[in-house]
Amino acid sequence: MRLKESAVRAKLTAKGREDSWPAGWAELGVSRRSFLKFCASMAAILSMPPAVAAKLAESIEKAEKPTLVWLEFQDCAGNTESFLRASRPTVAQIILDKISVNYHETIMAAAGQQAEDALAKTVKNHAGKYIAAVEGSIPTGADGAYCAIGGKSALQVAREVCGNAAATIAIGTCAAFGGLPAASPNPTGAVAVGDAVPGLKTLINLPACPANAENITALLVYYMTMKQWPPLDQYRRPLFAYGKLIHDNCERRAHFDAGQYVENWGDDGHRHGYCLYKMGCKGPVTFQNCPVIRWNEGTNWPIGCGHPCVGCAEPNFWDKMTPFYRHLENIPGFAVGTDVDKVGLGLTAAVGATFAAHGVIEIARRKLGHGPDQGEEGRKGE
Amino acid sequence: MSAALAASLPGSKRIRVYVWELPVRIAHWLIFFSIMVLAATGFYIGHPFISVSGMARDHFVMGTVKVVHFYAAIVFTLAVLSRLWWMLMGNRYARWSQFIPVSAARWRDLRETAKFYVFARRDPPPTVGHSALAGAFYAVIYGICLVMIGTGLAMYSPMAPLGSPMRWFSFLIPIFGGLPTARLIHHIGMWLLLAFMVHHVYSAILYSAVQRTGTVESMVSGNKFVEPEALAEEGDD
Amino acid sequence: MAHVVVDPITRIEGHLRIETEVEGGTVRDAWSSSTMFRGVEIILKGRDPRDAWVFTQRICGVCTTVHAITSIRAVEHAIGANPPPNARLLRNLIIGAQCVQDHVIHFYHLHALDWVDIVSALSADPAKTASLAQSISDWPISGRAYFTDVRARLKDFVAGGRLGPFANAYWGHPAYKLPPEANLMAVGHYLQALDFQRQFIRMHAILGGKNPHLQSFLVGGMATPVDADSQNALNMGTIAELSKLVASARDFVTRVYMPDVLAIAAFYKDWAGIGAGVGNYLSYGEYPEDDNPNPNMYLPGGTILNRDLGKVAPVEPDKISEYVKHSWYDYKGGDDKPLPPFKGETSPNYTGPKPPYERLHLDRKYSWVKSPRYEDHPMEVGPLARMLVAYAYGRPSRVKELVDNTLKALGVGPQALFSTLGRTAARAIESQVIAEKMQDWVAALAESMARRDYRICDNSKFDPSTWPEECWGSGFHEAPRGSLGHWVHIRNGEIVNYQCVVPTTWNAGPRDAHGKRGPYEEALVGTPIAKPDQPLEILRTVHSFDPCLACAVH
Ligand code: HEM
Ligand code: HEM
Ligand code: NFV
Ligand code: SF4
Ligand code: SF4
Ligand code: F3S
Ligand SMILES: [Mg+2]
Repeated sequence: MRLKESAVRAKLTAKGREDSWPAGWAELGVSRRSFLKFCASMAAILSMPPAVAAKLAESIEKAEKPTLVWLEFQDCAGNTESFLRASRPTVAQIILDKISVNYHETIMAAAGQQAEDALAKTVKNHAGKYIAAVEGSIPTGADGAYCAIGGKSALQVAREVCGNAAATIAIGTCAAFGGLPAASPNPTGAVAVGDAVPGLKTLINLPACPANAENITALLVYYMTMKQWPPLDQYRRPLFAYGKLIHDNCERRAHFDAGQYVENWGDDGHRHGYCLYKMGCKGPVTFQNCPVIRWNEGTNWPIGCGHPCVGCAEPNFWDKMTPFYRHLENIPGFAVGTDVDKVGLGLTAAVGATFAAHGVIEIARRKLGHGPDQGEEGRKGE
Repeated sequence: MSAALAASLPGSKRIRVYVWELPVRIAHWLIFFSIMVLAATGFYIGHPFISVSGMARDHFVMGTVKVVHFYAAIVFTLAVLSRLWWMLMGNRYARWSQFIPVSAARWRDLRETAKFYVFARRDPPPTVGHSALAGAFYAVIYGICLVMIGTGLAMYSPMAPLGSPMRWFSFLIPIFGGLPTARLIHHIGMWLLLAFMVHHVYSAILYSAVQRTGTVESMVSGNKFVEPEALAEEGDD
Repeated sequence: MAHVVVDPITRIEGHLRIETEVEGGTVRDAWSSSTMFRGVEIILKGRDPRDAWVFTQRICGVCTTVHAITSIRAVEHAIGANPPPNARLLRNLIIGAQCVQDHVIHFYHLHALDWVDIVSALSADPAKTASLAQSISDWPISGRAYFTDVRARLKDFVAGGRLGPFANAYWGHPAYKLPPEANLMAVGHYLQALDFQRQFIRMHAILGGKNPHLQSFLVGGMATPVDADSQNALNMGTIAELSKLVASARDFVTRVYMPDVLAIAAFYKDWAGIGAGVGNYLSYGEYPEDDNPNPNMYLPGGTILNRDLGKVAPVEPDKISEYVKHSWYDYKGGDDKPLPPFKGETSPNYTGPKPPYERLHLDRKYSWVKSPRYEDHPMEVGPLARMLVAYAYGRPSRVKELVDNTLKALGVGPQALFSTLGRTAARAIESQVIAEKMQDWVAALAESMARRDYRICDNSKFDPSTWPEECWGSGFHEAPRGSLGHWVHIRNGEIVNYQCVVPTTWNAGPRDAHGKRGPYEEALVGTPIAKPDQPLEILRTVHSFDPCLACAVH
């Protein structure tokens, strides 16, 4: 650690290094010092040893601008808005200095034909080299008419654009897992990018509704630094952001273990940060780093503000995590919000009652001595 | 135990048969007691009905309950697995063929036992080990036990210590449709086992009463007292 | 006659396609279509009404609070829950923050490039730019050095040859009128606004855990505990932080946003006569000031027909209904009659051309947006409608003052409000009114804490077993883009029917069964087009509504 700090200081004073300091960063008021600080915090998000920070700084400076196209299908633009909240680096830094964002409907200046041309040009000129970011699910119903852009179906666009990309990043739960449009009864036959365009070489899912801006930028920085994509879990989510349960990093965990729960909104426990488990918190079944990096420049996160986690980064969370204010999902075939324990107790009681009755009848028929007696015959027949 | 042996015991109408070997009995009672503990602790995990006040550091209610659940889970898992192993190694009454009715005779026995339960015959067909119906039920129960273990391990895998081999069981998570569904299945499984237990205890007592082979005691001593002809018939299949 | 199609309309939320007939340099007819459908109203059926807000919130990630708020209002109305005063204050703060932040993003990042030519900014003189900036505002970040930096940065960027999102646009188009210095100033503020929106919206994270898609709403109240003596609740420290953020918003809006709008508008006064549209306006009213069932609203609700500011009438929700004559849905009772939302149906049935296609069937069904009508009138909703209704009522007085100031500054009369430019100005005026007002709600929250009133939710109605077996409810809200209503029908604790009639549904809807155009369509008719292959002017008028098509269709 100490060694590294001195190395950083050496870098700061070395004249040659100062020269390669990107002009754009200085203009934006990003000092070399704050830049190195950014690299250190990035290294922390990516769970890399702090020693890597210096190397990180070096490779970002040298990195060539990668090309990115951002497609929106059945989305709500929440992930785009989230991206606009990125703070390390900011979206201005990303777009002006780091990455060439050649297509993004929500921010691009061109429209209509000119916009479509920009996309077509990128797909052609950078084939196999650009990154495709996708927001929103892709409908398979109605011959693709549930989502069309410039007259083309989302499915067609996704196949053309993702199929020719070096890598595809599915940003948000809709793109990663189908998300809201795919919630039961999935009226449009919405599917995740990975299912719409099977066999993609490199597909990274960055779910959450929306994905946290800092995870989006961390992924891009990871790629630009390490020249490779991060290790993924079984749902293709980067381990640096989805490797641990919310519950295992939650600041309310001490109250969970102690047995201290919020019972009513605004009660003493709620006002004193007790655990939200009994209000339906899905932290115990959700993987994401919300409690660690939090949201909006580290300001807060859902559980931090007093509401249970709804499990927004998990596959099918709209069906598996609902009802949100109960900790178990609906039981198939039962009314919404039916309590498993009520059903279970009912079942047990029913079995008990059935066999109590059985016992009474059995005793009665033995006492009375009638009832079919096929025992012997049955056996003879064998 | 064979028909020959039964015939060699003259004068006594009922003969003592060593049906449940020690591993079967130990496994059975370990399963029973661990399920009691698992259900009590599991119910609390699902519905933490005890709330404590004061500083969090002074309490560890849920923490303790979970620890007890996990220790009981170890006992339970080992007992179930050893019982499954014994299905391959044990005596004829412990074998897997007692649980899955494959022979025509077992199917017949299953039907006849079912008739007894619906009062369509006076006495159950005589059996030494499990009746075919009971055996089939136990197969389902062992299946549920495996599901409990599988869903339990799936839920445990992400909270297992780093480097623990238990982490490897996260491969089970998608198999059960994700963690939330694994949890629901796990919870439903508890009630299925409890409901089974009610029926099961009743049937054990019922059999003790109508067959007089000492069914209930047999799970303690290992011995049943059966009529020679029952034994003779067993020899047929 | 040229048939001009713009698809995708960019710098909006969602998938909007505009088709127009252009003749003699003017739009003669226009069709507005959205080409994306998800079916949120269908997905909600059979679910727990307390969960509905989380679902409807995902209708849009731009106006990321509004469907949540409207949903809880509808369910609360149905089940008879009464949120306590703290919940109202927290909601007002969240709504206010949404309004200001959304308007700033809209103006700088979605709308400005319709008026601002980035390439022209390259030839600006930074010193002159600085004196221009300083002449319109005392905002401190407007020195020569700053604009020199901005220009250098822009130059590098352009010289790098990778224009990214600014490539292929209409730079140099004859409809761009700003001098290079005004363009450079706007580019600087484009970048500053990016920082502002990010920092200011931390307010949503404080009150809602995160943004977008805040997570602190509850049927019956809010999930954000309030307690002056707890570190796990909103306390006096939070009050201080909220005050600071609110002050920063007021600062940015009054010293950057408003002056910029006036400066730019001064060069485009002809646009005060373009894009008027249907001339009927609707606002439900917003920012409840008390906790009665029919609270007093800081911005009053009302309807205005035929641009008659002398006749503003209260809103009667029963007069609302939706047509699907030109939308890809079926109504059981036939497509010629509209349905009121409580009886609303959402049965998608696509009958348009199979993608890939060149043209929609404009004479038949051509959009996923339904056509809402108020007593059969197409209504424009949004900041302009709200400001007009408030202006017509004369309250709050701040609206009247600011509208009059703006008209005076530009030297135009009230008729200028009914236009593309009017919409853009109204949005800035509203931002200022609300940015100023928010401090009052922060203060009221602090007072509430001082009284030790820590109630945040009506817990008596949270358990579905306390609800009537069957009930109906409607919730209304003024979202950044206009009047939003949700209608819910609940039976045995489950949603039976859920209908949303959304601001952009009103504005972007297609023709109705009588062939009456929707507000976008009507506003586009008469728009001048200098170059049909570079439809900059179409973007101007459409963008002035701040389209959100994910909202419109849902
Ligand atoms: C018959 C045996 C068992 C019964 C009846 C049982 C019962 C339960 C119940 C009712 C829950 C609460 C579920 C909920 O509503 O959230 C639970 C949780 C759990 N059980 Fe079991 N369980 C059994 C066996 C096991 C086994 C074999 C394991 C293996 C590791 C296990 C691990 C767990 C875990 C990890 C949890 C979740 C704890 C948490 O998230 O804090 N259980 N169990
Ligand atoms: C949750 C609780 C219990 C479970 C899951 C359970 C399960 C089983 C199983 C799987 C068997 C088959 C044994 C084998 O061959 O592996 C069995 C047999 C038996 N159990 Fe239990 N048991 C439970 C509780 C009890 C209790 C409380 C009693 C005491 C009355 C009992 C008495 C017996 C007897 C007598 C048999 C032998 C029945 C026969 O001949 O088929 N069990 N039980
Ligand atoms: N139209 C619309 Fe919204 C808003 N404001 C909402 O209801 O944008 Ni997404
Ligand atoms: S994942 Fe959530 S935020 Fe992202 S597009 Fe889907 S609904 Fe919107
Ligand atoms: S609040 Fe949720 S995530 Fe946090 S400890 Fe409680 S249950 Fe776990
Ligand atoms: S709801 Fe989503 S944002 Fe984080 S706390 Fe839960 S994963
Ligand atoms: Mg609708």
